Amino acid sequence: MFSYQASRSLLGVGKRLQVPVPFRSLSSSTQTPPEQKKTPVADQTPTPTPADPVEASPKQATPAAPFNAAPAATTPAVDTATSTTDIKSSEPRVKEWAERLGAFGEENRLPRSVQAIYLRPLRRKAEHGLPVCDLQLRSYSVRNVEFFADFAIRAAYYLNLPVSGPVPLPRITERWTVPRSNFVHKKSQENFERITLRRLIQIKDGNPQAVQAWLAFLRKHAFYGVGMKANVWETESLDAAKDMDTSLSEVEESLRPHLAQFGQRKDNSAPGTIFDTLNSERFTERKNV
Amino acid sequence: MSKMAGLFRPKKLDLSGFTNTRLIRDHNKRIAFEQTEPERQALRYMIRNTSLPGRVRAQAQLQLSQMHAYTRPTQIKNRCVESGTARSVFRDFRINRYQFRMQALAGELPGVKKASW
Repeated sequence: MFSYQASRSLLGVGKRLQVPVPFRSLSSSTQTPPEQKKTPVADQTPTPTPADPVEASPKQATPAAPFNAAPAATTPAVDTATSTTDIKSSEPRVKEWAERLGAFGEENRLPRSVQAIYLRPLRRKAEHGLPVCDLQLRSYSVRNVEFFADFAIRAAYYLNLPVSGPVPLPRITERWTVPRSNFVHKKSQENFERITLRRLIQIKDGNPQAVQAWLAFLRKHAFYGVGMKANVWETESLDAAKDMDTSLSEVEESLRPHLAQFGQRKDNSAPGTIFDTLNSERFTERKNV
Repeated sequence: MSKMAGLFRPKKLDLSGFTNTRLIRDHNKRIAFEQTEPERQALRYMIRNTSLPGRVRAQAQLQLSQMHAYTRPTQIKNRCVESGTARSVFRDFRINRYQFRMQALAGELPGVKKASW
Protein backbone atom coordinates (compact mmCIF):
# COMPACT_ATOMS: atom_id res chain seq x y z
CA MET A 1 0.00 0.00 0.00
CA PHE A 2 2.78 2.31 0.96
CA SER A 3 4.73 1.68 -2.18
CA TYR A 4 1.68 2.27 -4.28
CA GLN A 5 1.24 5.67 -2.69
CA ALA A 6 4.84 6.56 -3.27
CA SER A 7 4.67 5.61 -6.90
CA ARG A 8 1.45 7.52 -7.39
CA SER A 9 2.93 10.63 -5.91
CA LEU A 10 5.90 10.30 -8.23
CA LEU A 11 3.59 10.11 -11.19
CA GLY A 12 1.83 13.25 -10.10
CA VAL A 13 5.05 15.23 -10.09
CA GLY A 14 4.95 16.02 -13.74
CA LYS A 15 1.48 17.49 -13.59
CA ARG A 16 2.04 19.90 -10.80
CA LEU A 17 5.51 21.09 -11.66
CA GLN A 18 6.07 23.65 -14.33
CA VAL A 19 9.60 22.48 -14.81
CA PRO A 20 10.57 18.86 -14.42
CA VAL A 21 13.59 18.77 -12.17
CA PRO A 22 16.01 15.88 -12.07
CA PHE A 23 15.50 14.07 -8.79
CA ARG A 24 19.16 14.04 -7.93
CA SER A 25 19.12 17.73 -7.13
CA LEU A 26 17.00 16.97 -4.07
CA SER A 27 19.82 15.20 -2.32
CA SER A 28 21.77 18.42 -1.81
CA SER A 29 20.82 19.59 1.64
CA THR A 30 21.26 23.29 0.87
CA GLN A 31 18.23 23.39 -1.36
CA THR A 32 15.72 22.01 1.11
CA PRO A 33 12.51 23.96 1.24
CA PRO A 34 11.86 25.67 4.55
CA GLU A 35 8.71 23.68 5.23
CA GLN A 36 10.80 20.59 5.81
CA LYS A 37 12.67 22.10 8.71
CA LYS A 38 9.57 22.80 10.76
CA THR A 39 8.52 20.20 13.29
CA PRO A 40 6.09 18.04 11.40
CA VAL A 41 2.50 17.47 12.41
CA ALA A 42 2.06 14.40 14.53
CA ASP A 43 0.06 11.64 12.98
CA GLN A 44 -3.32 10.76 14.37
CA THR A 45 -2.62 7.12 15.26
CA PRO A 46 -1.25 7.61 18.76
CA THR A 47 -0.21 4.14 19.93
CA PRO A 48 3.22 2.91 18.86
CA THR A 49 3.51 -0.80 19.56
CA PRO A 50 5.98 -1.72 22.28
CA ALA A 51 7.54 -4.30 20.01
CA ASP A 52 9.41 -1.60 18.02
CA PRO A 53 11.44 0.56 20.36
CA VAL A 54 13.89 1.50 17.66
CA GLU A 55 11.23 3.00 15.47
CA ALA A 56 10.01 5.22 18.24
CA SER A 57 13.37 6.79 19.00
CA PRO A 58 13.80 9.30 16.12
CA LYS A 59 10.68 11.15 17.11
CA GLN A 60 12.46 14.46 17.38
CA ALA A 61 13.22 14.93 13.74
CA THR A 62 16.41 16.55 12.57
CA PRO A 63 16.21 18.43 9.26
CA ALA A 64 17.90 15.50 7.59
CA ALA A 65 15.26 13.04 8.76
CA PRO A 66 12.94 13.22 5.76
CA PHE A 67 15.82 12.39 3.47
CA ASN A 68 16.66 9.31 5.45
CA ALA A 69 13.07 8.28 5.21
CA ALA A 70 12.87 8.88 1.50
CA PRO A 71 14.61 5.69 0.31
CA ALA A 72 12.43 3.68 2.67
CA ALA A 73 9.39 5.20 1.06
CA THR A 74 10.51 4.52 -2.50
CA THR A 75 11.60 0.92 -1.93
CA PRO A 76 8.75 -1.56 -1.76
CA ALA A 77 7.83 -2.44 1.81
CA VAL A 78 9.62 -5.58 2.91
CA ASP A 79 8.00 -5.80 6.35
CA THR A 80 4.52 -6.85 7.07
CA ALA A 81 1.68 -4.40 6.87
CA THR A 82 1.62 -3.84 10.61
CA SER A 83 5.24 -2.71 10.78
CA THR A 84 4.81 -0.20 7.96
CA THR A 85 1.88 1.40 9.73
CA ASP A 86 4.08 1.62 12.81
CA ILE A 87 6.73 3.52 10.93
CA LYS A 88 4.15 5.88 9.61
CA SER A 89 2.71 6.54 13.02
CA SER A 90 6.00 6.98 14.84
CA GLU A 91 8.04 9.00 12.31
CA PRO A 92 7.29 12.57 11.26
CA ARG A 93 4.99 12.73 8.30
CA VAL A 94 6.93 12.44 5.06
CA LYS A 95 5.87 14.90 2.43
CA GLU A 96 4.98 13.57 -0.94
CA TRP A 97 7.37 13.92 -3.81
CA ALA A 98 5.19 16.32 -5.73
CA GLU A 99 4.85 18.62 -2.76
CA ARG A 100 8.56 18.69 -2.13
CA LEU A 101 9.47 19.20 -5.73
CA GLY A 102 6.84 21.90 -6.06
CA ALA A 103 8.31 23.80 -3.18
CA PHE A 104 11.73 23.40 -4.72
CA GLY A 105 10.51 24.62 -8.08
CA GLU A 106 8.93 27.72 -6.61
CA GLU A 107 12.02 28.79 -4.74
CA ASN A 108 14.81 27.98 -7.15
CA ARG A 109 14.44 27.65 -10.86
CA LEU A 110 16.76 26.34 -13.48
CA PRO A 111 18.32 28.74 -15.97
CA ARG A 112 15.95 29.58 -18.80
CA SER A 113 18.18 27.93 -21.39
CA VAL A 114 18.11 24.69 -19.40
CA GLN A 115 14.36 24.95 -18.88
CA ALA A 116 13.92 25.28 -22.63
CA ILE A 117 15.32 21.79 -23.11
CA TYR A 118 12.23 20.36 -21.47
CA LEU A 119 9.92 22.37 -23.70
CA ARG A 120 9.23 22.38 -27.39
CA PRO A 121 11.96 24.10 -29.45
CA LEU A 122 11.48 27.77 -30.07
CA ARG A 123 11.18 29.01 -33.62
CA ARG A 124 11.64 32.23 -35.51
CA LYS A 125 8.91 33.41 -37.82
CA ALA A 126 9.73 33.51 -41.53
CA GLU A 127 9.08 36.89 -43.10
CA HIS A 128 9.03 36.02 -46.80
CA GLY A 129 9.14 32.24 -46.69
CA LEU A 130 11.85 31.84 -49.34
CA PRO A 131 13.64 28.52 -48.90
CA VAL A 132 17.37 28.97 -48.44
CA CYS A 133 18.62 25.61 -47.27
CA ASP A 134 17.27 22.08 -47.22
CA LEU A 135 18.90 19.79 -44.70
CA GLN A 136 18.16 16.12 -44.88
CA LEU A 137 19.01 13.89 -41.95
CA ARG A 138 19.23 10.15 -42.37
CA SER A 139 19.61 7.41 -39.86
CA TYR A 140 18.66 3.83 -39.16
CA SER A 141 17.32 4.65 -35.70
CA VAL A 142 14.41 6.90 -34.83
CA ARG A 143 15.93 8.11 -31.60
CA ASN A 144 19.08 9.45 -33.17
CA VAL A 145 17.43 11.22 -36.05
CA GLU A 146 14.72 12.74 -33.86
CA PHE A 147 17.24 13.94 -31.33
CA PHE A 148 19.49 15.49 -33.92
CA ALA A 149 16.58 17.15 -35.75
CA ASP A 150 15.56 18.73 -32.45
CA PHE A 151 19.13 19.86 -31.85
CA ALA A 152 19.36 21.39 -35.32
CA ILE A 153 16.14 23.33 -34.82
CA ARG A 154 17.28 24.71 -31.50
CA ALA A 155 20.60 25.72 -32.99
CA ALA A 156 18.79 27.49 -35.82
CA TYR A 157 16.71 29.46 -33.34
CA TYR A 158 19.78 30.86 -31.64
CA LEU A 159 21.27 31.77 -35.03
CA ASN A 160 18.12 33.74 -35.92
CA LEU A 161 17.15 31.34 -38.69
CA PRO A 162 13.47 30.63 -39.36
CA VAL A 163 12.97 26.88 -39.64
CA SER A 164 10.22 24.66 -40.92
CA GLY A 165 10.25 21.00 -40.08
CA PRO A 166 11.30 18.39 -39.26
CA VAL A 167 9.30 16.85 -42.07
CA PRO A 168 9.34 13.06 -41.95
CA LEU A 169 10.19 11.96 -45.48
CA PRO A 170 9.27 8.50 -46.76
CA ARG A 171 11.36 5.73 -45.31
CA ILE A 172 13.75 3.83 -47.55
CA THR A 173 13.30 0.13 -47.03
CA GLU A 174 15.88 -2.26 -48.44
CA ARG A 175 15.27 -5.98 -48.13
CA TRP A 176 17.47 -8.95 -48.77
CA THR A 177 16.50 -12.59 -48.83
CA VAL A 178 19.25 -15.08 -48.16
CA PRO A 179 19.21 -18.88 -48.09
CA ARG A 180 19.89 -20.10 -44.60
CA SER A 181 22.33 -22.78 -45.73
CA ASN A 182 23.48 -24.59 -48.87
CA PHE A 183 21.68 -24.27 -52.12
CA VAL A 184 20.02 -27.63 -51.54
CA HIS A 185 18.00 -26.04 -48.78
CA LYS A 186 16.81 -23.14 -50.88
CA LYS A 187 13.31 -23.52 -49.43
CA SER A 188 14.46 -22.25 -46.07
CA GLN A 189 15.41 -18.60 -46.40
CA GLU A 190 15.87 -15.64 -44.17
CA ASN A 191 14.83 -12.03 -44.68
CA PHE A 192 16.83 -9.01 -43.66
CA GLU A 193 15.93 -5.39 -43.98
CA ARG A 194 17.43 -1.98 -43.48
CA ILE A 195 15.10 0.97 -43.02
CA THR A 196 16.53 4.42 -43.51
CA LEU A 197 14.60 7.16 -41.74
CA ARG A 198 14.73 10.65 -43.12
CA ARG A 199 13.90 14.08 -41.77
CA LEU A 200 13.86 17.29 -43.75
CA ILE A 201 14.61 20.61 -42.13
CA GLN A 202 14.12 23.70 -44.24
CA ILE A 203 15.60 27.09 -43.49
CA LYS A 204 13.62 30.03 -44.80
CA ASP A 205 14.95 33.47 -45.75
CA GLY A 206 18.00 33.29 -43.51
CA ASN A 207 21.26 35.11 -43.90
CA PRO A 208 23.54 32.94 -46.09
CA GLN A 209 26.45 33.39 -43.71
CA ALA A 210 24.28 32.34 -40.78
CA VAL A 211 23.18 29.30 -42.76
CA GLN A 212 26.81 28.38 -43.37
CA ALA A 213 27.56 28.85 -39.69
CA TRP A 214 24.59 26.67 -38.80
CA LEU A 215 25.74 23.91 -41.15
CA ALA A 216 29.28 24.13 -39.81
CA PHE A 217 27.99 23.93 -36.25
CA LEU A 218 25.93 20.86 -37.07
CA ARG A 219 28.90 19.24 -38.73
CA LYS A 220 31.07 19.99 -35.74
CA HIS A 221 28.55 18.45 -33.37
CA ALA A 222 27.56 15.63 -35.70
CA PHE A 223 25.69 12.86 -33.92
CA TYR A 224 26.65 9.21 -34.25
CA GLY A 225 24.66 7.25 -36.79
CA VAL A 226 23.10 10.33 -38.38
CA GLY A 227 24.01 11.39 -41.90
CA MET A 228 23.45 14.89 -43.23
CA LYS A 229 22.88 16.25 -46.70
CA ALA A 230 22.27 19.92 -47.42
CA ASN A 231 21.07 21.77 -50.47
CA VAL A 232 21.82 25.47 -50.26
CA TRP A 233 20.28 28.08 -52.55
CA GLU A 234 21.55 31.56 -53.03
CA THR A 235 19.67 34.51 -54.42
CA GLU A 236 21.02 37.08 -56.82
CA SER A 237 19.75 40.56 -57.61
CA LEU A 238 17.85 41.12 -60.86
CA ASP A 239 20.68 43.02 -62.56
CA ALA A 240 23.02 40.06 -62.32
CA ALA A 241 24.19 40.61 -65.89
CA LYS A 242 25.36 44.09 -65.02
CA ASP A 243 27.35 42.76 -62.09
CA MET A 244 28.93 40.17 -64.34
CA ASP A 245 29.94 42.87 -66.81
CA THR A 246 31.62 44.91 -64.14
CA SER A 247 33.49 41.90 -62.79
CA LEU A 248 34.60 40.78 -66.26
CA SER A 249 37.89 42.67 -66.18
CA GLU A 250 38.88 41.01 -62.89
CA VAL A 251 37.99 37.57 -64.20
CA GLU A 252 40.02 38.13 -67.35
CA GLU A 253 42.97 39.22 -65.30
CA SER A 254 42.82 36.13 -63.13
CA LEU A 255 42.38 33.82 -66.14
CA ARG A 256 45.26 35.28 -68.18
CA PRO A 257 47.96 32.91 -66.92
CA HIS A 258 45.72 29.92 -67.64
CA LEU A 259 44.62 31.08 -71.07
CA ALA A 260 48.24 31.74 -72.01
CA GLN A 261 48.72 27.96 -72.00
CA PHE A 262 46.26 27.51 -74.87
CA GLY A 263 47.09 27.76 -78.55
CA GLN A 264 48.98 25.99 -81.30
CA ARG A 265 52.58 25.08 -81.00
CA LYS A 266 54.70 27.05 -83.40
CA ASP A 267 57.03 24.17 -84.22
CA ASN A 268 54.15 21.82 -84.89
CA SER A 269 52.35 23.80 -87.58
CA ALA A 270 52.45 22.41 -91.11
CA PRO A 271 54.03 24.61 -93.78
CA GLY A 272 51.10 24.66 -96.25
CA THR A 273 47.45 25.61 -95.95
CA ILE A 274 44.68 23.41 -94.58
CA PHE A 275 43.73 22.36 -98.12
CA ASP A 276 47.15 20.88 -98.65
CA THR A 277 46.55 18.56 -95.74
CA LEU A 278 43.02 17.67 -96.82
CA ASN A 279 44.14 16.83 -100.33
CA SER A 280 47.04 14.79 -99.11
CA GLU A 281 47.30 11.05 -99.70
CA ARG A 282 46.18 10.07 -96.23
CA PHE A 283 42.88 11.90 -96.41
CA THR A 284 42.03 10.96 -99.98
CA GLU A 285 42.61 7.35 -99.12
CA ARG A 286 39.17 7.06 -97.58
CA LYS A 287 37.42 7.29 -100.91
CA ASN A 288 38.93 3.99 -101.92
CA VAL A 289 37.49 2.13 -98.95
CA MET B 1 50.40 -13.69 -72.41
CA SER B 2 50.54 -15.04 -68.94
CA LYS B 3 54.00 -13.59 -68.54
CA MET B 4 52.60 -10.18 -69.36
CA ALA B 5 50.26 -10.34 -66.40
CA GLY B 6 53.26 -9.72 -64.19
CA LEU B 7 53.44 -6.21 -65.62
CA PHE B 8 50.33 -5.23 -63.78
CA ARG B 9 51.27 -6.89 -60.52
CA PRO B 10 52.61 -4.46 -57.95
CA LYS B 11 55.99 -5.30 -56.38
CA LYS B 12 54.46 -5.27 -52.93
CA LEU B 13 51.00 -6.51 -52.03
CA ASP B 14 48.79 -3.45 -51.76
CA LEU B 15 45.79 -5.22 -50.31
CA SER B 16 44.80 -5.65 -46.71
CA GLY B 17 42.26 -7.82 -45.00
CA PHE B 18 41.29 -11.11 -46.55
CA THR B 19 43.53 -12.02 -49.50
CA ASN B 20 43.30 -14.77 -51.98
CA THR B 21 45.06 -15.53 -55.28
CA ARG B 22 41.89 -14.81 -57.18
CA LEU B 23 41.20 -11.71 -55.17
CA ILE B 24 44.69 -10.37 -55.91
CA ARG B 25 44.31 -11.22 -59.57
CA ASP B 26 41.05 -9.32 -59.75
CA HIS B 27 42.67 -6.42 -57.98
CA ASN B 28 45.48 -6.37 -60.54
CA LYS B 29 42.93 -6.36 -63.34
CA ARG B 30 41.25 -3.35 -61.82
CA ILE B 31 44.55 -1.51 -61.62
CA ALA B 32 45.43 -2.45 -65.22
CA PHE B 33 42.08 -1.23 -66.48
CA GLU B 34 42.39 2.01 -64.58
CA GLN B 35 45.84 2.71 -66.00
CA THR B 36 44.97 2.00 -69.63
CA GLU B 37 41.45 3.35 -69.77
CA PRO B 38 42.27 6.58 -71.69
CA GLU B 39 44.23 4.61 -74.26
CA ARG B 40 41.38 2.16 -74.71
CA GLN B 41 38.86 4.94 -75.07
CA ALA B 42 41.00 6.76 -77.64
CA LEU B 43 41.33 3.61 -79.74
CA ARG B 44 37.62 2.90 -79.48
CA TYR B 45 36.89 6.42 -80.61
CA MET B 46 39.17 6.04 -83.61
CA ILE B 47 37.58 2.74 -84.59
CA ARG B 48 34.07 4.16 -84.54
CA ASN B 49 34.89 7.51 -86.15
CA THR B 50 33.79 7.18 -89.79
CA SER B 51 35.45 10.42 -90.78
CA LEU B 52 38.88 8.88 -90.27
CA PRO B 53 40.59 6.95 -93.07
CA GLY B 54 40.00 3.23 -93.06
CA ARG B 55 43.64 2.41 -92.67
CA VAL B 56 43.87 4.37 -89.44
CA ARG B 57 40.74 2.72 -88.13
CA ALA B 58 41.98 -0.74 -88.97
CA GLN B 59 45.26 0.00 -87.24
CA ALA B 60 43.38 1.14 -84.17
CA GLN B 61 41.34 -2.04 -84.21
CA LEU B 62 44.47 -4.14 -84.31
CA GLN B 63 46.07 -2.17 -81.56
CA LEU B 64 43.03 -2.50 -79.34
CA SER B 65 42.80 -6.24 -79.88
CA GLN B 66 46.47 -6.62 -79.05
CA MET B 67 46.16 -4.95 -75.70
CA HIS B 68 46.47 -7.21 -72.71
CA ALA B 69 43.39 -9.04 -71.51
CA TYR B 70 43.76 -7.52 -68.04
CA THR B 71 43.04 -4.08 -69.45
CA ARG B 72 39.52 -5.11 -70.45
CA PRO B 73 36.74 -3.95 -68.18
CA THR B 74 34.85 -7.19 -68.71
CA GLN B 75 37.58 -9.04 -66.86
CA ILE B 76 36.64 -7.33 -63.64
CA LYS B 77 34.37 -9.31 -61.35
CA ASN B 78 33.10 -8.26 -57.97
CA ARG B 79 34.42 -10.50 -55.24
CA CYS B 80 33.56 -10.84 -51.61
CA VAL B 81 36.03 -8.84 -49.53
CA GLU B 82 35.57 -11.21 -46.60
CA SER B 83 35.92 -14.57 -48.29
CA GLY B 84 36.97 -13.93 -51.90
CA THR B 85 33.94 -15.69 -53.33
CA ALA B 86 32.74 -14.47 -56.70
CA ARG B 87 29.13 -15.64 -56.46
CA SER B 88 26.18 -13.73 -55.05
CA VAL B 89 28.17 -10.77 -53.82
CA PHE B 90 25.98 -7.90 -52.63
CA ARG B 91 26.99 -4.61 -54.14
CA ASP B 92 25.77 -2.68 -51.09
CA PHE B 93 28.13 -4.43 -48.73
CA ARG B 94 30.67 -6.03 -51.13
CA ILE B 95 30.03 -9.22 -49.25
CA ASN B 96 28.97 -12.71 -50.14
CA ARG B 97 25.45 -13.78 -49.21
CA TYR B 98 26.72 -16.17 -46.57
CA GLN B 99 29.04 -13.60 -45.04
CA PHE B 100 26.18 -11.12 -45.16
CA ARG B 101 23.94 -13.43 -43.19
CA MET B 102 26.59 -14.14 -40.57
CA GLN B 103 27.46 -10.49 -40.12
CA ALA B 104 23.85 -9.35 -40.11
CA LEU B 105 22.99 -11.86 -37.41
CA ALA B 106 26.02 -10.72 -35.41
CA GLY B 107 24.84 -7.11 -35.74
CA GLU B 108 27.95 -5.96 -37.56
CA LEU B 109 26.07 -4.32 -40.43
CA PRO B 110 24.55 -1.06 -39.22
CA GLY B 111 20.80 -0.89 -39.57
CA VAL B 112 20.36 -4.41 -40.92
CA LYS B 113 17.80 -6.41 -38.97
CA LYS B 114 15.83 -9.55 -39.36
CA ALA B 115 12.71 -8.67 -41.28
CA SER B 116 9.22 -10.07 -41.04
CA TRP B 117 6.18 -8.61 -42.65
